[in-house]
Amino acid sequence: MRPIIGITTYVLPATWGVWRDLPSALVPHDYVESVRLAGGRAVLLPPDDLDADVLGRLDGLLLAGGPDVDPARYGADPEPLTVAHPERDAAELVLLRAALDRDLPILGVCRGMQLLAVAAGGTLHQHLPDIIGHEKHRLAPGVYSEQSATFVPGSRIAALLGDDATIHCFHHQGVADAGSLTVTGRAVDGVPEAIEDPDRRFVLGVQWHPEVSRDRRLFGALVAAATGDKEDPAACADR
Amino acid sequence: MRRPLIGLTAYAEHVQYGQHDLMAGVLPMTYVKAVHATGGRAVLITPDDPGTDVLDSLDGVVFTGGGDVDPANYGATPHPATEPDKARDTAELLLMRAALDAELPVLGVCRGMQVMAVATGGSLHQHLPEVIGHERHRAASGTDPLAADAADYGRHDVVVDEDSRAHHYFGRCLTVNSFHHQAVADPGEFVAVGWCPDDRVVEIIERPGRAFAMGVQWHPERTPDLRSFAALIEAASRAQAVTAA
Repeated sequence: MRPIIGITTYVLPATWGVWRDLPSALVPHDYVESVRLAGGRAVLLPPDDLDADVLGRLDGLLLAGGPDVDPARYGADPEPLTVAHPERDAAELVLLRAALDRDLPILGVCRGMQLLAVAAGGTLHQHLPDIIGHEKHRLAPGVYSEQSATFVPGSRIAALLGDDATIHCFHHQGVADAGSLTVTGRAVDGVPEAIEDPDRRFVLGVQWHPEVSRDRRLFGALVAAATGDKEDPAACADR
Repeated sequence: MRRPLIGLTAYAEHVQYGQHDLMAGVLPMTYVKAVHATGGRAVLITPDDPGTDVLDSLDGVVFTGGGDVDPANYGATPHPATEPDKARDTAELLLMRAALDAELPVLGVCRGMQVMAVATGGSLHQHLPEVIGHERHRAASGTDPLAADAADYGRHDVVVDEDSRAHHYFGRCLTVNSFHHQAVADPGEFVAVGWCPDDRVVEIIERPGRAFAMGVQWHPERTPDLRSFAALIEAASRAQAVTAA
């Protein structure tokens, strides 16, 4: 059996087929396809903050991109351009904290990386152009900006990406303080692009969108870590 | 006890939201909320990765509404009004057969009920108005036929066989919404146990003597009447307790 990777979803009014602006749970196909190509089986996790029991059936957690984290979660007032979705924050933080407790493999993408930082006691910049003076991390709606990142030698992300440090960005917020996590990658302008927890089996956040290129290096590493979990009898005892 | 984990079959479609226009795995939140309101935990299964291994992790499955089943799956040629969703057919026929074989509790809603019939050798009426001579089973999308001020278009009664399992959940008669243009002609290994009294269109099918498997032709997730979802969750909880024991 392939390892099962849960992907957190958006909840938005969506239009398809006969439906117009219908409140829907959705996640871009790129995430599902990236997990599939890496050898995992994706299921989508619509927000639900009652409990994290679903983790008992999952082998890995993928925190997808999405709206801004509610600044109240890191003790700040919302700035004018911050668009939060508190229902998603509540549900994903329940899952994330329980996943950390279980040492379940976790990959956070964009918003997912920011959530990792906030859960680790960190904070965010609410609008990067105000801090760094340019818009290169989010050029235009639906356009990913190609950038180059630098990784800390010896880090997990450096080992995974090797010499090819091309990344595809689309974000207007960024990690200001990674809390108890380590910043292991930065863009040329110094913006944190990768964070990780060296003390856990697999906890990695990336600020860019590896699902757009279906990056086997990252999703493969998540699936491999999740597969390891399945083969560990102790970890399977509570299934 | 842990909430039963319920897989919901989802669409993989080109979706527009905000300023985005892209392929996505997507499902109306009404289904998710119906599962959560009746005590389950919902996860979505997209059709872009056909396979049955995911069933090992689930306590039950809801086969949701959607486009038509490709008539080739029951040996018929397509009617001009038939709009098949072949990607979902492939994934869901595979999942349905495996779930029934594994005695996993399953609920079929609208298209999901039709998938039940086709997966077990049955067949569908491809365009109901030509069979029964009226369009009253197809309310406009986005309407609520059960609203107090709605016309009776897209709303009708269902009469339930007194010897069925469905009778235990619904009693002799209930009023439902209706958003379909196809219907079950031959329920395959299932048995028809509920009908619209006006035209004898099949509205409920079930699989006697086996694990919970029920199909309903209406859309309970869009109403406050979640008895069919509650029945699935109850069966999934029972199965989960047996497995855990």
